[in-house]
Amino acid sequence: MRWREWSPPAITILVTLVAWEAWVVGFRVREYLLPAPSGILAVLAAEWRYLALHTGVTVYEILWGFFLSIVVGIPLAIVIVYSPVLERAIYPLLVAAQSVPKIAIGPLLIVWAGLGIFPKVLVAFLIAFFPVVIDTVAGLRSVEPEMLHLARSMGASEWRVFLKIRLPNALPNIFAGLKVAVTLAVVGAIVGEFIQADRGLGYALLQASAMLNTKLAFASILILAGIGTVLFVIVDWIERLLIPWHASQRVETAAGTL
Amino acid sequence: MRPFRAMLNGHKFVEVSDVVRVFATPEGEVRALDGVSFDVQQGEFLSIVGPSGCGKSTLAMLIAGLMRPSAGLVAVGGRTVDRPQTSLGIVFQNPVLLAWRSALDNVLLQVEMRGLDVRQYRHSAMELLASVGLEGFEKRLPHELSGGMKQRVAICRALIHDPPLLLMDEPFGALDALTRDQMTLDIQGICARGSKTVLFITHSITEAVFLSDRIIVMTPRPGRIDGIIDVEMPRPRRLAVREGPAFAAYTRQIRDRFMARGVLRDIEDPSPLAPLGGFPSPLASPRGCGSPLTPPSPPGGEGAAGA
Repeated sequence: MRWREWSPPAITILVTLVAWEAWVVGFRVREYLLPAPSGILAVLAAEWRYLALHTGVTVYEILWGFFLSIVVGIPLAIVIVYSPVLERAIYPLLVAAQSVPKIAIGPLLIVWAGLGIFPKVLVAFLIAFFPVVIDTVAGLRSVEPEMLHLARSMGASEWRVFLKIRLPNALPNIFAGLKVAVTLAVVGAIVGEFIQADRGLGYALLQASAMLNTKLAFASILILAGIGTVLFVIVDWIERLLIPWHASQRVETAAGTL
Repeated sequence: MRPFRAMLNGHKFVEVSDVVRVFATPEGEVRALDGVSFDVQQGEFLSIVGPSGCGKSTLAMLIAGLMRPSAGLVAVGGRTVDRPQTSLGIVFQNPVLLAWRSALDNVLLQVEMRGLDVRQYRHSAMELLASVGLEGFEKRLPHELSGGMKQRVAICRALIHDPPLLLMDEPFGALDALTRDQMTLDIQGICARGSKTVLFITHSITEAVFLSDRIIVMTPRPGRIDGIIDVEMPRPRRLAVREGPAFAAYTRQIRDRFMARGVLRDIEDPSPLAPLGGFPSPLASPRGCGSPLTPPSPPGGEGAAGA
C-alpha cells in the first residue's frame, strides 16, 4: 500500500512537467522567458561541475546557520524557561529582533562581518533561530503540573527533572521548531548571498539571471528546492529515530484521516 | 485487619490542625479551607468526601508539602510539613505517565528520580504490575494502554518505593463505572497487604464507604469538616456489601449531610410511580425528562421489588 503514499505527489509532478514541456514546445515560448524542463535538465547535466561548486558553498552556509540556531536557540530557551528575570529581560528583545527584516540589516552585517562566508551564515542563523527558541520554550513548559508535583514528591533534583521529564517531553516541539528552522536557514543563506557574494547558489542565480541564462537560473532553483527538501527529510528522519513514541502516534493520526 | 488497625489506634500519622488556605484570585481572596483539623491514624484508610471546590485537593497538596497553609499546621510522622514530602506515594486523577516510557519504566521513574538502584527494583515493579493485572503489558507504551490500565500503572508507581503514606486524589475520577468498581477492589487488596496509611479523596460516597475506616465529610466553599464517620464493616469487603443495610445506612448518613448543606437536592414531591414504598422509585425521572413514548411502569413495580 506504499504506492498510495507516494503516487499522488509523483503523478502531480509528472503531469505538471509534461504540461510545462508541451506548453513551451507547443507555443514556442522563448527560452530566456521560460525554458522547458528538458532544457533545464540538460543544463543541469552540462553544468554540473559549476553548480556542484556553488551548491557546496551554500550547503556549508546553511548547515552552519542551522547548527548555530540550535546551539544558541536551545540553551537560550532553557534559560528563558528557568529564569523568570532573564525571560523578562530577553523575550521582548527577541520578539523585537524577530520583527526586523533580516534583509534590511544584511548590508550592516557585511560591514561588520566582512565579505566571506560568515555574514551569510549569520543571516541564515538569524532567520532560523527564532522558531527554535519559541518551540523549545513551549515544549519545556508543556509538562503537566501534576507531573512536576510528582517529581517533587520523589525528591528529584531540578537537573533530573530536566533530563528525564522536561527535555524528552519537549522533543516533539523542538523538532517542530527545527523543521521550520532548517528551511528558513536555506532562505537565510540565499538572502545573504543576494546581498553580496562571489560564490554560492544565490550568486549563481543572480549571475544567470543577469545574463538571461534562464535555464541555469532554473537549474539553481531546482537544486535549492532539492537542498531544502533533503535537509527537511533528514531532520524528520532524526526525529523518528529519537522520538519513536511521538512519530508512531503521528502516523496513527495520519492513517486515521485517510 | 481490624485488630491490627485497632492496635495501631492512637498513633497519629498525619495531623492537620486549624488549617486555613486562602487563594488570591482576580476576584479577591477565596477561602478554600477554613479551620480544618483532623488526624489520620497509622495504617488507617481515611476518605475525604465533598463536592467540587470544597478544598479537598488542596488538603492533599498541603499534606504532600506541595503547598503551604495560610494558617495552621500540618504534620506527617510527627514532623511539621514545611517542604515537599518524599516518603509518600501520590496518585492523581490524571495518570500523568511519560509517553516515551513503557509501563514498567514509568513505574521505575519513582526509583530513578530518587537516585536509587533501578536493577534492585525491577523485579518488584514487575510483581506490582502483575498484581494489578498488567502482566504482559510491562513493555507497552502509555498510548497503547486503556484509561484504567494507565491509572493502574500510576498506582504502581506510587507504591514501588513502599511508602508509609499513600495520597490519592480522585484516582478513579476519569474512569468508567465498571473499571472504577474493579479498581476499588484492587485498591482494597493493595492496602490490605501492607500497613499503609491511605488518604483517599473522592466525590463518590459509595467508594468512600466501601474503602474507608473513616470518612471525613466536607462542606462546600469554604471547605470545613462537616462530620467524621466511622465505618465499621468487616474486611475484606466484597462488592455485594454495597447492597447491604449497613452500607446503605452509611451512604444515607453522608447523603443527608450533603442534603442539609444544599450540596444535593432531591426531587421535591414523592413520585406517583411509587405509592407503596415511602421512597421514590429509582427509575422515576424528574418532570420533563421522561419520554412520552415510554410506557409507564406498573404502579409500585420498582418500588415493591426494591422494598
